[in-house]
Amino acid sequence: MTALRSLGSLGDYYRVKLKTDLAIEMQYRGAMLIWLIGAVLEPLVFLAVWSAAAAAQGGAIDGLTSHDFAAYFIASLVVNQLTFSWVMWEFEHYIREGELAADLLRPIHPIHQDICENWAHKLLTMTVVIPAVILLSLVFEPAWHFEAWSLLAFLPALLFAFALRFLFDWTLALIAFWTTRTASANQLAQTVFLFFSGRLAPLSLFPPVLVTISFILPFRWMLAFPIELILGQLTPAQALWGMAIQLGWIAAILLLMRFVWRVAIRRFSAVGG
Amino acid sequence: MRDRIALVGTYMRLAVLNELQYRANFWGSLLEGFLGLAVALGSLAVIFGHTDNLAGWSAMELLALVGIYYIMSGYIQTFVQPSMERLLRDVHKGTLDFTLTKPEDAQLLVSVRAFAVWNLIYVLLGIAVVVFALARAGDAPSTGQIVAFVVTLLLGGVIVYSFWLMLATIAFWYIKIENILVIFQSMYEAGRWPVGIYPPVLRLMLTFLVPVAFAVTVPASALVGRVSGAALAGTLLAALGFFVAARLFWRRGVRAYAGASA
Amino acid sequence: MSIEPVITLNNLRKVYTVPVREGGLRAAARSLIARETRDIVAVNGVSFTVAPGEIVGFLGPNGAGKTTTLKMLAGLLHPSDGSARVLGYEPWQRNHDFLRGITLVMGNRNQLAWDIPALDSFDLNRAVYRVPRAQYMRTRDELIEMLDLSTLVNQPVRNLSLGERMKCEIAASLLHSPSVLFLDEPTLGLDVTMQRRIRAFVRAYSQQYGATVLLTSHYMADVEALCKRVIVIHHGALLFDGDLTALVDRFSSSKTISLQLGEAVPHMDQAAWAAFGERIDDGEDSLIRLRVPKAQCAAITGRLLATLPISDLTVEETPIDQVIEEVFAQPQTDIATQEART
Repeated sequence: MTALRSLGSLGDYYRVKLKTDLAIEMQYRGAMLIWLIGAVLEPLVFLAVWSAAAAAQGGAIDGLTSHDFAAYFIASLVVNQLTFSWVMWEFEHYIREGELAADLLRPIHPIHQDICENWAHKLLTMTVVIPAVILLSLVFEPAWHFEAWSLLAFLPALLFAFALRFLFDWTLALIAFWTTRTASANQLAQTVFLFFSGRLAPLSLFPPVLVTISFILPFRWMLAFPIELILGQLTPAQALWGMAIQLGWIAAILLLMRFVWRVAIRRFSAVGG
Repeated sequence: MRDRIALVGTYMRLAVLNELQYRANFWGSLLEGFLGLAVALGSLAVIFGHTDNLAGWSAMELLALVGIYYIMSGYIQTFVQPSMERLLRDVHKGTLDFTLTKPEDAQLLVSVRAFAVWNLIYVLLGIAVVVFALARAGDAPSTGQIVAFVVTLLLGGVIVYSFWLMLATIAFWYIKIENILVIFQSMYEAGRWPVGIYPPVLRLMLTFLVPVAFAVTVPASALVGRVSGAALAGTLLAALGFFVAARLFWRRGVRAYAGASA
Repeated sequence: MSIEPVITLNNLRKVYTVPVREGGLRAAARSLIARETRDIVAVNGVSFTVAPGEIVGFLGPNGAGKTTTLKMLAGLLHPSDGSARVLGYEPWQRNHDFLRGITLVMGNRNQLAWDIPALDSFDLNRAVYRVPRAQYMRTRDELIEMLDLSTLVNQPVRNLSLGERMKCEIAASLLHSPSVLFLDEPTLGLDVTMQRRIRAFVRAYSQQYGATVLLTSHYMADVEALCKRVIVIHHGALLFDGDLTALVDRFSSSKTISLQLGEAVPHMDQAAWAAFGERIDDGEDSLIRLRVPKAQCAAITGRLLATLPISDLTVEETPIDQVIEEVFAQPQTDIATQEART
């Protein structure tokens, strides 16, 4: 009963916080458009590169034409946009400027406000991402192979991918409690992510060893898995397995995060930030 | 002129002294340099696992281009970007007044004030990559190719500087300009690849709107001997054009700052 | 013998055109097409001259046009109308010889690099101003001596206190031995001791080098200590130009009577005191302070002495910052009439 009530009040918090964050985000409409250029450009560059490679090989690489690459990178744009976060870049500032200390006095875990800010940003950026996707589709003519079941399965897979990536980033952000050189740590994580998440290229094009590693690491489940699902490249069994692995990772990282958070807070209250 | 060179020298000496206090930045730059290089080499390896050329560029030629990209990035991050960010800060805080009351050309002063010496690591890494790529490619470039490369690289440097100065000058009218610099940075990333692979509209943008083509692709083409005399002349003209435009725009900016037009 | 003035302003005027912006998207969209603008007159026809070696206090409330005027004189702003000459140059041409002859110190902004010792920033200014090395060394050492900087200039500026930093800022802006100093709030935010030291330095410097100083400050103590002559502007127009004592005479409408009562004190409430003047003491101790109109001062003093057992009585001019406060508090129209009267 109490669990249910606390869930209800958390829902209330999310409703109010999302509303205010949306209002705040609205103030940065101009910055949003500029940010969009960066978000669209990266997949566009990879698309251009792979299309050029396909053209050099007589039109297709491993059976993938430039239209298949277009579908892949447009899907990648959307999935990446919906799963990315920036908490690890701001956490150091958050600790040092004393905002954390203030938030610790409130009877709610600080991760909730980060989730709300993230969602508010995404809700609003969708208004520019969707037109961008339509425009890119008109220009690059992606080859979609949608299937009803995989479209349906895509939604939970996307949600899990977001949860996994967000928890991972949030745990990574906690490094800021121990070092001031978080930028280097983030850069390192981002580089590994770039390779093993499928952001650089469809993972099937990677050398077999790397493909195997990509199945072991959590990054593929944050990006490539939902992309492959929506592109209709997976069997129903593979989809179910994938989601099971996602949930397994979420549970593992959640445990890790709780542990690190507890140690970090103990440290924080001992040295006083 | 000698006085001016001495002045630039004094600024650089101070900036180096200043940066030496932050040795940790050295390790940060080094790590980021190697990570970026890992991404570049990794993506080249994956792509050339499936093809032997990309829009006519061989793997080693593209590697040389990556090296040149690094040289140019190092130049920007060492000389251009820190000075221009400082200029923006000065406009915000009103401390540009100190610069404008100095008996020296203000454009020169704002262009040499900051100097992030650790980022020269990128230049060194870039040179190493270019040399490695050329060695692996086998036949060494001719003297003519090397001269054309050096000249186009220098012109590319002028173009990039002029472009950044123009962007920063906008701050005289519109205070919130940082976002525009973000656009440049994300578009500059596209210069890791030869602009020839991009769709025509994007290629035009990368040539004239954000002159990545002149900064990276043209010098790389010159090095591998794939640049025409006309392209060389065009680059020279572009450099002149960008430089003069930046100078005029800067002067207009300073005049607007002083309320001369009002 | 007439001395050629160093600074001359003739009907100097500055009008800013600012966009009028209403809130809301529609207004923003409309402003893209036709920008509505509004003119704000910051400086409205100011004229005065300053002779070599003078230290002049330049006063006015926030937004009076002080800084705008100063910026025009330093060559940072073009005037909208009128003319000015400093050291024989039109400032906004920014002739390099002109710039070598002036300096601008702003108390709220700093030019020294944050992370390096001030001495290194000094060297930079030597290079910028092309000061010959021998002369630079001499001036530098003199300034270090006068401002007592010897232990400070070798530390990174970020480690200095606000006052120490300001002293270094001042030294940095004087290395090229300018003959005209524009000091905009040089003591802003400093503690009383440091304010006093900076004041003493400015006076000594001006005497030693014959430099002309135009000083703005919110601290009247600065002005009292340094400036014989003050120029007051208000709402962009010149309100007063003359001796500080004359300013007090002209604008102070009241005097303060302080009195100490003797043994047998009759009880007097506020209303009883009001018959004499306005009580401005805090009522805590036995000293009573009354503000009375200047013209009736003598009469009131007489009445006080006649009716009350007074053991001590003094009459004072109203303190200068109170006078200035009163001047600044006047709305624009009052000043216009006052100007017409004088």
